[in-house]
Amino acid sequence: MKAIKGILMTCDPAVKQILLFFNEDHSFIIEDLDDYHVVIRADEERKVRSMLEAKLESNTYSLEG
Amino acid sequence: MAVDDTVPQVKKEHVLLPFLQTLNQTTLTSLYKRPSSCLSIFRLLSSLERQIILNLLWLESAITTSTLAAWVIREAKPLYDDALSTLSRLHVLPTGSGKLALNPTFKAAFRQAIAGGGSGGSFGVPAAEHKDDGRSGANTTVLDEYALERWETILHYMVSSGTDDRTRRPPEPSPGVRFLLKTSGLMQEVYGSLRISSVGFQFLLYSPHEQLWHLLLQYLHLADQRRMDLVDVLSFLFMLSTMELGREYSVQNLTKTQSAMLEDLRDYGLIWQRKQSSRRFSPTRLSTTLTSSSPPLPTKTGDSSGPQEGFIILETNYRIYAYTDNPLQTAVLNLFTSLKYRFPNLVVGSITRESVKKALMNGITADQIISYLFTHAHPNMRKNNPLLPVTVQDQIRLWELEKNRLKSREGYLYTDFASQADYELVLKYAKELDIVLWENAAKRCFFGTLEGHPIIKSFIERRSTG
Repeated sequence: MKAIKGILMTCDPAVKQILLFFNEDHSFIIEDLDDYHVVIRADEERKVRSMLEAKLESNTYSLEG
Repeated sequence: MAVDDTVPQVKKEHVLLPFLQTLNQTTLTSLYKRPSSCLSIFRLLSSLERQIILNLLWLESAITTSTLAAWVIREAKPLYDDALSTLSRLHVLPTGSGKLALNPTFKAAFRQAIAGGGSGGSFGVPAAEHKDDGRSGANTTVLDEYALERWETILHYMVSSGTDDRTRRPPEPSPGVRFLLKTSGLMQEVYGSLRISSVGFQFLLYSPHEQLWHLLLQYLHLADQRRMDLVDVLSFLFMLSTMELGREYSVQNLTKTQSAMLEDLRDYGLIWQRKQSSRRFSPTRLSTTLTSSSPPLPTKTGDSSGPQEGFIILETNYRIYAYTDNPLQTAVLNLFTSLKYRFPNLVVGSITRESVKKALMNGITADQIISYLFTHAHPNMRKNNPLLPVTVQDQIRLWELEKNRLKSREGYLYTDFASQADYELVLKYAKELDIVLWENAAKRCFFGTLEGHPIIKSFIERRSTG
């Protein structure tokens, strides 16, 4: 058997699709577990979070922006 | 999403009680020597606990546990047990011997508090009346103004430290107060200046009573470090809480520690003195309401617009109208609303996604925002049922959920097991240790926490060698 160090991300399916989309360019996913879980490389969490944040923001209509 | 039309009004345990329970029996017993302390603690207890104490107070001998337990219906047994264990941890009512009797020191002092007698001056020694020398004591108006000014200086200092507007700084509170704010974690030092922390942001949305006790609790934690006698500190606070507003008390009976406290308490606005060297002091409303349920700050009247409590109108279109001219309240509102217009007696703004997000980033939770709006709702809002528009409440909670769309836990993925039996064995072991975050039998892999990894590792090594 094998033990791989990583970070378990728990999210909704929509967010997971965005993560898969990012992965095409950056390749940080170790294992795609199911609709709600993926394991990513431990040192990539910050980057992934900020990319996701930017993506979600761009999809939101803002009164003030 | 379930929306309840009232914020749950569950009476929480007073914050001081857990602290008192950490003290040892000797400390508590010397605290119980003073009738004023006993009375104050009694006032902090829940009604069931008070009931138990009063039932036992005038008994000369102990009664068996079963006698008292006979009063309790079966459904209320957990509540009753809970009350007994609280009283036992406070060393008011020792349990365990099968008999129930109040701590004799507590009993004697509390009897004195109720029936009078004794001459300890534990409720404070009133200062002698002034001869007609033109110096009269402070009346309640002066005291209220003083307390309010002191207290708002502290809060305003905290709230404005979070903004970058350095041109309009409110006056700084004394070094003692700033030290307390820093050690309590409400503010933290960033580049040599104090800035409000996320705990501090949450603190601002508490009720004044909670805020006051939060700070005083911190003060108590510091007592040891500052070589102050904890019993003296506590009994002084309790003494203040039983004093009469608008009356002057003499400092001559105070211990050394308590005299030193005068300066700190003056900074917090708990007491008022004409001069630093004055031989007399007056408690303000902040201190006389410490253990009571009446509001610690005076509700404003006269020159100011509207009452202090209840000034916010929130509409279903997320607009917020705050009838206030108080810079502190405006600043607190500014934590989670985007303010649009400011009039002499009215501030208009709206709750937007950005403004709530800013608040969430500062560590404020959606529930805190909602409960702040709830407690400060304008009397006219009270006619609505539910009080706050459901759409706005839900949306604030949804915005909070949005922030947490991605949860992450570091750990190890265990995969490529040789056989199903192997997988099941390791998984069973890991489950017993409660370290499994995710599992999938079909894929024959599971994800365990970081902390659990060394244990799993040694378990597998033991098996492969054995």
